[in-house]
Amino acid sequence: MDFELGERADDVRSQLREMLRAGVPDDFLGAFTDDPADLELTMRFCAELAEAGLLCIGWPAEYGGGDGTVWDQTVVREEMWAWHEPRGPQYMGVNWVGPAIMRHGTPEQKARHLPPIAAGSVIWCQGFSEPEAGSDLASLRTTATRDADGWLVSGQKVWTSYAAMASWCVLAAVTAPSEPTSRRLTLFLVPMDRPGIEVRPIASMLGPHHLNEVFIDELRVTDADVLGTPGDGWRIMRDALAYERVGIARYARCEALLERVREFLRDGWDDLPESVRTRWVRALIEIRVAKLLAYVAVGGEDGVDDAAASAARIVTTTLDQTVAELLFEALGSAALDTGTDAALHGAVEDHWRYAQAATVASGTIEIQRVITARDILGGR
Amino acid sequence: MDTRLPDDAGQLADAATRRFRRLGGVDAARRAEADPATRETARKALDELGVFDLDVRADADQLLAGAVLCRAAGAVVLPWPLIPHLMRVSGRHLVLIDPGHVRVDHGAVGLSWLGANVTGSAWPLEAGPPDVAGRLGPFVTGAVLGEEQPGRIDSDDIARYLTLQSWTILGALESALAEVTGHVRTRHQFGRALSQFQAVRFTMADVTIAVRGLEQLAKLTIWRLGRGDADQRVADAMALRLHAAETAVTTLRASHQMYGALGFCDETDLSVLDRHLQPSLRYPLSAERLARALVPFAGSGALTSRIA
Repeated sequence: MDFELGERADDVRSQLREMLRAGVPDDFLGAFTDDPADLELTMRFCAELAEAGLLCIGWPAEYGGGDGTVWDQTVVREEMWAWHEPRGPQYMGVNWVGPAIMRHGTPEQKARHLPPIAAGSVIWCQGFSEPEAGSDLASLRTTATRDADGWLVSGQKVWTSYAAMASWCVLAAVTAPSEPTSRRLTLFLVPMDRPGIEVRPIASMLGPHHLNEVFIDELRVTDADVLGTPGDGWRIMRDALAYERVGIARYARCEALLERVREFLRDGWDDLPESVRTRWVRALIEIRVAKLLAYVAVGGEDGVDDAAASAARIVTTTLDQTVAELLFEALGSAALDTGTDAALHGAVEDHWRYAQAATVASGTIEIQRVITARDILGGR
Repeated sequence: MDTRLPDDAGQLADAATRRFRRLGGVDAARRAEADPATRETARKALDELGVFDLDVRADADQLLAGAVLCRAAGAVVLPWPLIPHLMRVSGRHLVLIDPGHVRVDHGAVGLSWLGANVTGSAWPLEAGPPDVAGRLGPFVTGAVLGEEQPGRIDSDDIARYLTLQSWTILGALESALAEVTGHVRTRHQFGRALSQFQAVRFTMADVTIAVRGLEQLAKLTIWRLGRGDADQRVADAMALRLHAAETAVTTLRASHQMYGALGFCDETDLSVLDRHLQPSLRYPLSAERLARALVPFAGSGALTSRIA
């Protein structure tokens, strides 16, 4: 048994922390704010990460990656999330869009899409959820209809994070309505500025950019835009969603915020009610467990294990909400303060808001339980 | 990063599981409850496995060997005080206690005892009355504290004890979970297996994840016992022990709910596992008291969420 992540992973962590200190200000709370400078910062930082060979460290070198281990990539994920994800929305391109293109893309798609993801210069969004198909993704209604020039897509997507920022979308559409789920859907790689796409932001407690509606009206796509083969969309999506579930190291921000709040409180930590401090103890333990289960999910010999990813997701998302409440308790009446003068520049308030969506996003906690139960009990 | 047990530890675990199965598995605990003298068969089984030659203080491999034995013993709630034996000090069997309310599981087995609290103060113990054994913890005895002995028990021994106790709890929970998983798959109600009801499936998912998480934490903790400073090691062990107790409460509660009335009957292993495991969950400290004992470690930074 060995719980060391490896010498290179440790070096990567040190290098990342140095870059974060130098390139990300203390009051940075992520790219998804009302200040466009925050998005610009993430674009700059991603380019720096790419230049240093860290953005796609786990990718094969032939696609612009660093040939690193899964643990090197894990360290990048942890350090980025701990500091409010200065990759902005680009984590998604690194975590699953790029790997899906590597596995299922044509040589032309690989040549076109992988270099910009590896260079940190492109933002992708994911056009999966629809008003009538949230957890039940297989019931999508957006339809791609065959014609002589390729396909015409019409329908509506919803909850599409970063859609207004993105230049590309992985769009899921029905291409064989009468086929069973496993052959009904196709994924298309579509530029967001192509005629027929309209994005409308949704105001939410999460803050700007997290939630959008995407209206699709006779969007022209061609065979060259298909990822994999027509009808193969569900299989690729399931694959991608397993990666997405472990793609955000929520436990790492919990760990960082508990540490930062303890430092912020200084002697005030001793004055916290005993019940808050014992919850704190339990939260530290839960973080360890969440981290270990995430490592089990990504550390398998055959890539990310579906059921293990769901188990890790359940633990880390509930942890996120537990820690959010705990930190609010610790800050007391200062908890709701935002802005640069607030405790930790409002990082705790920001965390609490985002944590509310943890057990809904990327497949609800109920869906994760369905997957886990299928693994242990069989059935559907 | 490799969380798999080393081959030799895995082989020892397999050998212990086979040996305890030959003893009757949980039936050995049932027999001992009816006739405590039959506990001698458990001692003999441990002797055959080489337990009495094991020195868990000597190195990480022997400590891990002790842990996998505790896990296998926990899986059948083996009726013998294995941890006190592994942790004996100068011929006395070490048992962690609450000195304000001394209780010893298997206290009447005829051993010489040394009691210590979690901060390392130690007393020779005279196990015996009051006769407090009930259905929960049927082998528990009271004990009388002797004169506090000079010097303290090494904090690493406290850490080892709590870690071994946690591996014992892990084994019992895995055993309970396996039995209940089999039950919900085969028990039919309303014309279908319980495992086809979503409420049952979700409950089983949650407790299975909880036990898997405990397994990972148990492995991490025993690996970390050879590293860091003394405060960190004892904080890690107390944290594991707290998590084990709380996972046990959740898992056993859910297991009973899944099993229904049958789960309270001693013909099921679940009932025996739950009853016999209680001393490991409650002694030396209850979960909340452990959490409070950990607060200073969290405040000082000795307890962290870091792994390596």
